[in-house]
Amino acid sequence: MIRRRKVAFWLLVLGALHGIVLCAGFFAPYDPVEQDRKNPYLPPMRLHFMDARGHLHVRPFVYGLQLRPGTYDQYVEDTTQLHPLKFFVAGDRYRLLGFFPVRLHLFGTGNERIYLAGTDAFGRDQLSRLLFGGQISLLAGLLGAGFTLLIGWCIGAVAGYYGGWRDDVLMRVAELFLALPWLYLLFAIRAFLPLTVNPLQAFFLIVAVIAAVGWARPARLVRGIVLSAKERDFVRAARGFGASNFYLLRRHILPETSSVLLTQAAILIPQYVLAEMTLSFLGLGVPEPVPSWGNLLSNLQQYSVLVSYWWIYLPAFAMVPFFLGYLGLASALQERPNAYKIERKSLGSLA
Amino acid sequence: MEPILKVENLTKRYAKRNFVGTPQEFLALDGVSFSVSAGATLAIVGESGSGKSTLASCVACLETPTAGNLWFERRNLAQSAESDLRKIRPQIQLIFSDPASSLNPRWTILEIVVEPLVLQGKLGRKERKMRAFSLLERVGLSADMAGRPATELSGGQRQRLAIARALTLDPKLLILDEALSALDCSVQAQIANLLLELQSSLGMTFLFITHDLTMAAHMADEIVVMSQGRIIEHGPSSNILRNPSHEATKQLLASLPQLPHTPWPATQR
Amino acid sequence: MMRYFLRRLAHAFLLVIGVSVLAFLFTTLAPGNYFDEMRLNPQIAPETLAALRAQYQLDRPLPIRYTSWVNSVLHGQMGFSFAYNAPVAPLLLVRAKNTLLLTITATLLAWAIALPLGVWSAEYLGRFPDRVISWSTAALLVIPDLALALGLLVLAVRTRWFPTGGMASVDFESLSSLNKIRDLALHMTLPVTALVLSTLPVLVRHVRAAVAEVLHAPFLLAAKGHGIPRFTLLYRFALPAAANPLISLFGFSIGALLSGSLLIEVVMSWPGLGPFLLEAILARDIYVVIGGVLFSTIFLAAGNVLADILLYWLDPRIRTESASR
Repeated sequence: MIRRRKVAFWLLVLGALHGIVLCAGFFAPYDPVEQDRKNPYLPPMRLHFMDARGHLHVRPFVYGLQLRPGTYDQYVEDTTQLHPLKFFVAGDRYRLLGFFPVRLHLFGTGNERIYLAGTDAFGRDQLSRLLFGGQISLLAGLLGAGFTLLIGWCIGAVAGYYGGWRDDVLMRVAELFLALPWLYLLFAIRAFLPLTVNPLQAFFLIVAVIAAVGWARPARLVRGIVLSAKERDFVRAARGFGASNFYLLRRHILPETSSVLLTQAAILIPQYVLAEMTLSFLGLGVPEPVPSWGNLLSNLQQYSVLVSYWWIYLPAFAMVPFFLGYLGLASALQERPNAYKIERKSLGSLA
Repeated sequence: MEPILKVENLTKRYAKRNFVGTPQEFLALDGVSFSVSAGATLAIVGESGSGKSTLASCVACLETPTAGNLWFERRNLAQSAESDLRKIRPQIQLIFSDPASSLNPRWTILEIVVEPLVLQGKLGRKERKMRAFSLLERVGLSADMAGRPATELSGGQRQRLAIARALTLDPKLLILDEALSALDCSVQAQIANLLLELQSSLGMTFLFITHDLTMAAHMADEIVVMSQGRIIEHGPSSNILRNPSHEATKQLLASLPQLPHTPWPATQR
Repeated sequence: MMRYFLRRLAHAFLLVIGVSVLAFLFTTLAPGNYFDEMRLNPQIAPETLAALRAQYQLDRPLPIRYTSWVNSVLHGQMGFSFAYNAPVAPLLLVRAKNTLLLTITATLLAWAIALPLGVWSAEYLGRFPDRVISWSTAALLVIPDLALALGLLVLAVRTRWFPTGGMASVDFESLSSLNKIRDLALHMTLPVTALVLSTLPVLVRHVRAAVAEVLHAPFLLAAKGHGIPRFTLLYRFALPAAANPLISLFGFSIGALLSGSLLIEVVMSWPGLGPFLLEAILARDIYVVIGGVLFSTIFLAAGNVLADILLYWLDPRIRTESASR
């Protein structure tokens, strides 16, 4: 089936992207919290293959940067200092996948520092912070989406299967949650929780908050499916053989919800990553010094930074390949053989 | 001889609850009474909306009647507790009209046939498989299809599968709710003959529900005609066909296609 | 017609009340309050703090606080702001007007662009115009709102065509009426652009989907056979038939735009509910937060009622359905 191949393709793309972020320690040259106070707001270094005298090098290299005389934040390449790029170097210690202490990095320049994405006010390598920040943001999105779908699934199943007052009450509560613009609800919930917490608590707090906001739409979708599946003849037949409610749910009804849940996951995950980015950007999310795509951007709220240091803006686009991947996946999952029956389920992307 | 099934004044009311305003009520069955002897076939005929399917659900214990009694082998099913019903349900099996929706499209043939045995917890895995194979052969399906998904079967084959599944627990009463209506003419005849053959060899009682009077006459000795939740005629098949008394029955007869040169109605058994 | 409208209104009203209860519930879950900051200040005596807390009823049980808050709502105050030392409602109203200005403009503009684009896309489904539009919307979809807003800001800074924030120039008051409008429009351009760009792709996609489904209906082919011109065909026959899902989308889009405006107002320093709410959250000014959340809910509910009325007007099936009840 063409659809299966498309889904597999996008899953592969997403897997590769997530894999890079997962192994951030390997791809990043430095530790994300390591500061280099002597080099604040360094612009990104350019890779060269040909030096100033016209020689071609096999290995790419970067020039050292010198302050332009008379300025305090403008740099010029010093063509006398060549730092060749080495691959698979030993560098700062990090923990691969959180477990294995390793020292191997994809690239580096030995003793000299290489900043392919520039540095921030504290001289921290932006590329490393970008990669490690992705771990936090993506994890928040994935966990949040996971919890939301779990909650929505349970509530939808109960409301759809048992009906009656349970259905009424649960759906009314869902309506309440849907009646609020989601960012306002997110803010409101976040507001009523402690503001100054350590990074780990902050992280789980955000995940919990994000998950609490979005359960209503998946719950409604699951409820719809359970309602219609409940009346199917094969369910009634199974009851005729003495099946219990639990059996019916487990073996017949809930498997019907799998496709909707998958599609919702592909739609929700990028939304939730964006939610984490928004919260962190505004200072309500993961606090310094832990990097997240959101708080990497928060300095841009200062006019001077916005105007002068364009590379601080780069993390804003870090999300784009992931968004693309999830969008492709969601489209592939929703594809139907009839070209004119275009699915409306992507309404979820507005939340 | 004591009838195996005795329906007394069965009533079923559906109420639609609204948050505000008056709840609307729908009377599906209004005081229906009849009885069936063991090993016999009773046909229930009526147009859509006459309450036939509701009756089928109630007798199969899938719905609880609002009022009345439902005697099955001396037990009043209308008054029994859920736990007792769960034990009785396997003895009364229901074959549905739509062969596509009565079988889970995601399951294989074997899983479908074996499901009742799994639910009742009897027999080990191998024995279940053996029993499934023998049942499949019995209804005319080949046992080596057992690993295929049910979606690969044709309509007639699916009904055979549904029958096989219904037979796994040795039911005493089989309710056929428009079981032949969705099939092609020739397939209808095949399945009808299969059912009759199974009945004579296994001694089951049939409740045959249909809107087609000739089919009813072909399958059953006695016919009950329903309209708008009530029984309007009850008697031997030949009587009903030759001398229908109620207006609705006459309309049902009139709706059947007639060929000019064939003697009509065909009531051979 | 009146009954339908009243039912929708009552429904919306109940919803707003429910949301207020929800917001209040969250208050109890919150550890800490506005005066925690003050507690750290050694110059303020604990008795003063206790007195302040009693004055603002922070010690009373939840139902009492809720009822006194509802009371204050009915008096047009909506609680009291600790930070500003003033009733909440007037503060919010000023900001709310600015947010509404932005949101309504963005909504109208977004739909004004999305409808023609979506219809055009549906008409040429699968062919070149549709492909171009689909790819562009996909490209816009994958850019996060944050990136869009910041990007536009950078654009403003670099080109100096637009002001980089705020709602009015310093010398606003001294301008003539015409120039005042021009000044406002200039300040509004960037935020509105950011908002429109962020919701446009989803709208276009859904309009395209809804209209595409309708375009193959027999009645439309019959109308075409009658020689009805293309424009009338599309906009007076096809679009109203596709209205049902689009109307619920409309209600949706208002919610999305409200959320979006929250972020964009903060980034672009537009003096609306957004920055005000953020400030209140950071300062733990509870009643302002509740008030702000409630305002946004009211806007959304109002938008949905509007959408329902529009649907009633456009789709005769709804009229007959509600009349038969």
